[in-house]
Amino acid sequence: MSAVIDTHGHGHTDHDGHEHHPSGLMRWVTTTNHKDIGTMYLWFSFTMLLIGGVLALTIRAELFEPGLQIVNPEFFNQLTTMHGLIMVFGAIMPAFVGFANWQIPLMIGAPDMAFARMNNWSFWLLPVAALLLISSFFVPGGAPAAGWTIYAPLSLQMGPGMDLGIFALHIMGASSIMGSINIITTILNMRAPGMTLMKMPMFVWTWLITAYLLIAVMPVLAGAITMTLTDRHFGTSFFNAAGGGDPVMFQHIFWFFGHPEVYIMILPAFGIISQVIPAFARKPLFGYASMVYATSSIAILSFIVWAHHMFTVGLPTAGLLFFMYATMLIAVPTGVKVFNWLATMWQGSMTFETPMLFAVGFIFVFTMGGFTGLMLAIMPVDVQMQDTYYVVAHFHYVLVAGSLFAIFAGTYFWIPKWTGIMYDETLGKWHFWLSLVFFNVTFFPMHFLGLAGMPRRIPDYASQFTEFNQIASVGAFGFGLTQLLFLYIVLKCSVLRKGEKAPARPWEGADTLEWTHLPSPAPYHSFHEQPEVK
Amino acid sequence: MTVAQVQKKASLPQVAKAVFWSFLGIRKRRDYETDSVELKPQQVIIAGLIGAALLVFTLILLVRLVISKLV
Repeated sequence: MSAVIDTHGHGHTDHDGHEHHPSGLMRWVTTTNHKDIGTMYLWFSFTMLLIGGVLALTIRAELFEPGLQIVNPEFFNQLTTMHGLIMVFGAIMPAFVGFANWQIPLMIGAPDMAFARMNNWSFWLLPVAALLLISSFFVPGGAPAAGWTIYAPLSLQMGPGMDLGIFALHIMGASSIMGSINIITTILNMRAPGMTLMKMPMFVWTWLITAYLLIAVMPVLAGAITMTLTDRHFGTSFFNAAGGGDPVMFQHIFWFFGHPEVYIMILPAFGIISQVIPAFARKPLFGYASMVYATSSIAILSFIVWAHHMFTVGLPTAGLLFFMYATMLIAVPTGVKVFNWLATMWQGSMTFETPMLFAVGFIFVFTMGGFTGLMLAIMPVDVQMQDTYYVVAHFHYVLVAGSLFAIFAGTYFWIPKWTGIMYDETLGKWHFWLSLVFFNVTFFPMHFLGLAGMPRRIPDYASQFTEFNQIASVGAFGFGLTQLLFLYIVLKCSVLRKGEKAPARPWEGADTLEWTHLPSPAPYHSFHEQPEVK
Repeated sequence: MTVAQVQKKASLPQVAKAVFWSFLGIRKRRDYETDSVELKPQQVIIAGLIGAALLVFTLILLVRLVISKLV
C-alpha cells in the first residue's frame, strides 16, 4: 500500500479540520491536500464555465436575428471554437477531476491521493493552459476558428492563435494524463482493507474506467495536434493535401480520441447519478454488477465507433455500415444503465431534494440526448442532418443536461460534506427548475432548426429560422443568468458560511464511507487510520 | 468465503462468459460474486481485448454479408 508522507508532522486524526497548514495564497499554491486541490479544480472549472458561457451568449445574441448584428463572421467562428474548447477541456473535464480529487479518497477510505505533489502539478498546469488558450484572442488573426475539432486544412491556415491553442491542449492533455495516473494508482493501491473492487462505490468505478480511457486517448490527441503543428511550421504534410497529405486522416485520428472523449465526459456523470439516486430512493443501486459491466462495455465500444462522426467524408459503404452497427450497439449498455436507475427508484421511499431533482432531470433529458444520438447513428439520416443544428441540439442534451446536470447534482449532494453547511434548499430547487426549463427552451427548438436544414457554425441564417432562434436565444440568456444563482448558493455555503450546520450524514440513504465515517465538514486530514470495510 | 474459494482459478469458458455478459452490461448477482472471487484482472483484460476483436470481426462479417446481397 502506498504511504502518504505527513509533511505536517501529525499522525493523529484531526477533528477541527483546519489546523497546521499554510494559510493565505501559499496554502493554495503549495497544497498537496486532495481536498484543497479538488476545491481549486472545481472553482477553476466554474470560472471556465462562466467564460465559455459568455462566449455562448455572444453567439446566441448574434443569432437572435438573421443578418450580421454584433460580431463579424471571423470572430463568430472564433466564438464557436473557443466556446467548445473551453467547455470541454476547461469546464467539464476539470470539474469531474475536482469531484475525483475530493471524493475518491473519501469514498475508498484513503488519506489522500497516491501522488500528492503530482496532483498539485496537474492542477496548476490548467490555469497556465487556460491563459494560453484565452490569450489567443489577442494575437494577430485572433483565436482558433476551425471548430473545437480543429480540422485540417483550416487549422493549417490560421495565425498564431492556433499555435497557442495547440500548446494549451498539449498542457491540458499532460494534466489529464497525470491526473489519471494518480486516480488509477490511488484506487488500485489505497482502498480501505476489505474494500474489494466489486465493493467500490459506482463513482469510483466510473472514474477508474474513465482514467484508463484518458490515458489511452489523450496521447492520440497530442499526436494529432503535434502533427498539425509540424505541418504548420516544420515542412511536413501529414494533413496538407497540397503536399500529398490527407485532411481526412486528421479526422480519423481526432475522432479516435474524440469519441472516447465523449465518454470521458459522461462516465463520471453516470457515477455521480449512481450515488445520488440510491441515496434519495433509500435503496441500494439496482444491478450494481451490471452497472460496472455496462460501464466497461461502453468504454470498450467507444474505441470502435469513431467514424460515425465522419459519415459524409466519403467512406466506403462497408465502413459506413460497420460504424453504424457498432454505434447502435452502444445503446444496449446505456439502456441497461437507464433501466437500472429507474429500477433503483422503483418502489423506493423517494424524496426530491435538489440533488435528486437534478439526477431525475438528468435521466429525463440525457435520455432524450441519447435517443437523438441513436438517430444520428443511422447513417442515411446522419447524411441529412450532419453539420446542422440537430447535431448541436443532440450534443448539448448530452453534455449540458448530462454532464453539467450531474455536476450540479454532485455539488448539491456533497457540498454539506465539503463545507459543513447545508445549501439553501429553496434556492437549489429554483436553480433546478429554472435550469431545466431554460435548458429545454434553448436547445429543444434547435432540433426543429436542424431538421429544417439550418447549418451550424454560421453567423447568419435564412429568415424562416428566425422564431426558433429567438426562442433559443431567450432561453440561453435565462439559462446563463440562472447559473449566477448557483454561484450564490455555493458562495453562501463555502465563503459566506450562512445556512444550517450540516450533520455528518444529512442524507439517510447515503452509505459510503464519507458519510458513515467522517464528520461534516470532512477534516483537512482524513482517514489516517483506514476503516475496515465489511 | 473460504480459502479454497479464494484460491480457485477461473476456467477459460468462465472468463469468456463473464466478458460476453459485460458486453451486454448484464450480470446475475450470483455469477458476479463468483467472478469477483475467481477472476483475475489480467484475465478479464485479455479476454476483453479478444472479445472486442471478435466483435469487430463479427461486424465485418455482417457488413460483408449485407454488401454482398446489395451487389
